[in-house]
Amino acid sequence: MSGAFNPALLARVAALSIVLVFFQIGVVSEVPVFGVNVDLSPLLVAFIGLLCGSMLGAVAGFAIGLLVDLTLLQTLGLTSLVFTLIGFWCGRLRELRDPQAALTPLLVGCAASAVSLVGYSLMEFMLGVDAPVSFELLRQIVLGIVVNTVVALPIWAIVRRALEGTLPEDPRRRRRRRAYTTGGLSPLSRA
Amino acid sequence: MSLVVLSLLLLTAYFGEAPSGRLHGVQRAFLTVVSPIQDGANKALKPVRDLFGWFGDTLHAKSQRDALRKQNDQLRRQLVTNQAEKRSYRQLIALFHLDQLGVSNYRPVSATVVGKTPNIWYSTVTIDKGEAAGVRVNDPVINGEGLVGKVVQVASDGAQVDLITDSSVGVSARVGTSSATGILQPKVGEPNDLLLQYLPANSQVNAGEYVVTSGTVAPGGDDSLYPPGLPVGQVTSVNEESAYKSVNVHPIANLHNLDIVQVLTSGAGTRASNIAKLAVTLPAGQTPSTSATGEQLASTEAGG
Repeated sequence: MSGAFNPALLARVAALSIVLVFFQIGVVSEVPVFGVNVDLSPLLVAFIGLLCGSMLGAVAGFAIGLLVDLTLLQTLGLTSLVFTLIGFWCGRLRELRDPQAALTPLLVGCAASAVSLVGYSLMEFMLGVDAPVSFELLRQIVLGIVVNTVVALPIWAIVRRALEGTLPEDPRRRRRRRAYTTGGLSPLSRA
Repeated sequence: MSLVVLSLLLLTAYFGEAPSGRLHGVQRAFLTVVSPIQDGANKALKPVRDLFGWFGDTLHAKSQRDALRKQNDQLRRQLVTNQAEKRSYRQLIALFHLDQLGVSNYRPVSATVVGKTPNIWYSTVTIDKGEAAGVRVNDPVINGEGLVGKVVQVASDGAQVDLITDSSVGVSARVGTSSATGILQPKVGEPNDLLLQYLPANSQVNAGEYVVTSGTVAPGGDDSLYPPGLPVGQVTSVNEESAYKSVNVHPIANLHNLDIVQVLTSGAGTRASNIAKLAVTLPAGQTPSTSATGEQLASTEAGG
């Protein structure tokens, strides 16, 4: 886990989270796309995890989930639980694989949305919501994942831009960059 | 790991406690704090929302225009028929003083929707008026199109409204001019549609008819939460069942795009007292409908 948090990064993550959560509640939730609402919160959590690592991803997931539950008067802890897992797993993905492909944010956004929607639905079922697994429910979940995936790249750009300059240096990435620029040898050994 | 455990603890404690419990209280206090912020953000972001909404509206405008033209023709025909019925209806209302039970007896409080749940499991919105404006739990909420929902939680400057498509809401309603009432609840598994249940098997219902609140009166104060005659939805299809008939209903109000709503707060000497007065004036042997009890039971059961 990458545990090096700097205050500037924490401040930016907090500000970005508050702005995006209120933007979600006040604007995005009011504009249905193909009958479903885009949910920016799981994308935000996933991308914070992907950029900052598992520890900050999990903490941000918990905090954003708590903010959503408190603001919308939902069952307290439910969104926090799902988002904590999303933030942690996306952080672990960065730490273990460090994917660099251009489509990574798209796939991560899709997976995060799927985990969020399916996980939330499973939790609701476990809490005793009286609803069968109907075609309409599955359609809403699938459409929700699709529209979230469509907006994943712009959200990724916003999150990366907002956190740029304060992100922790990843040891794997640093090693790779050094190997690329020096041909794998230190200047001393070449001399 | 500790965050997951903390989430589970929160979840367990919240789910196990009563609505008046400590965690619910924390939520209400939080809503009181963020409500002005949400209100400000809502006003500031309204142009952005309108811009998004404009794109969506433009895309749907053509199909809506065609549908509205058909509806217009149909309504024109209905209007002629309804003129005569309206005259008789007014006379009946005057006779029984039922006009005192309408919306005019409530004190409407206009409120702005400042938040909406983004997920498919809750159909709730947050409004910027609360206890300070006289809003109370169970107050009906309407907009220009019809019934929207009811207030379920109140903070000093904000309140949470469960929409009629939320599984916790049940409305006593009837179809058009029919006297048969049923309970209108969200259709299980289809969160954007409603189901009017427990209509008598012999009641005449046709697709396209409007469903309105029945505002039924029941003994022991179990009267309906909603005033009579509020439009709720339009019949899309009818299901024939053995003992009862059920009807699929599409909500009239556009619940996806709520902006301004009105909370029908009850002032002193309003609905409750009027119902009591009405009960006294009813002819002997006429018993008030008990559907409202069903409505409240449905609300209670679904709401957990």
